[in-house]
Amino acid sequence: MILLLAPLIAIAAVGIVALALRAQRGSQRELVGVVVEPPRRQGAMPSILYFTGEACTICHTAQRPALRALAAGLDDGVEIREVDVAVEPELARRYRVMSLPTTIVLDGSGQVTDINVGFATGETLRRQLVDAGMPVAA
Amino acid sequence: MAAVPFDRSVLKVNQSILMVVIVVGYVIGFAYPEAAYVLLALAVMMLAAVASPSLNLPRILYVRLLRPSGIVKPRVVQEDPAPHRFAQLLGGVFLAAASVFVVTGVLLVAWVLAWIVVALAFLNFAFNICVGCIMYAQLVRVGVLPLSRATAR
Repeated sequence: MILLLAPLIAIAAVGIVALALRAQRGSQRELVGVVVEPPRRQGAMPSILYFTGEACTICHTAQRPALRALAAGLDDGVEIREVDVAVEPELARRYRVMSLPTTIVLDGSGQVTDINVGFATGETLRRQLVDAGMPVAA
Repeated sequence: MAAVPFDRSVLKVNQSILMVVIVVGYVIGFAYPEAAYVLLALAVMMLAAVASPSLNLPRILYVRLLRPSGIVKPRVVQEDPAPHRFAQLLGGVFLAAASVFVVTGVLLVAWVLAWIVVALAFLNFAFNICVGCIMYAQLVRVGVLPLSRATAR
């Protein structure tokens, strides 16, 4: 009869882990509207932080090509900064990156305006850049 | 280079098999404790699936039977399969550990480990919360996992 405890112990253990992870995931959303680090120069245009890693296949096969295609049609002032989480773990920690790829859109003041966990299309990122204050070409 | 197409339905089939077989084995185990040996079979299934796609029993079942018959529809997404493979490996390791406890007769610990696998599979199946995938991202980030593309085939 002691075996009846098995599912209860297991579900309690997984429940605690899931709640902790959910709380941590939610905390990344809390970054929207926050300046995690000031922009490199004043009066800058919106920018994209692209978090990637060598083991992330989808980063190399889909996200990077999408960003390159996007960059080709953007104003020179819009910066797309690629961040390898293994090289810059501190930056990934400050932006609470949990999954790769993650793209974070910042406005001119460095304030986080959008966070995309997983692959984000060029169209989505372009729209988010416009929402963050990027001038739309006439 | 083309993006990697990844069919999430294979994962759903895998999670369904795990949940059903473990729960049924657990119930039968009250009458026949030997039913716990099903955990050993599941451990082999999970670890073989990680080792090679050609040994992935749930995938074979899905590709040859469930998809052609329309019982399970494909859900192809652009996604890195490496975190899911790591999650499968984690499930396989839990079940392998459970198998050791089955063989040594510590059935409570064996079934606790098996139910942890059920709970994780349910979270992924019902809510797309892949705890193993989140762990994978964290381990890559802190440099515990090797940053080799071979791990993310």
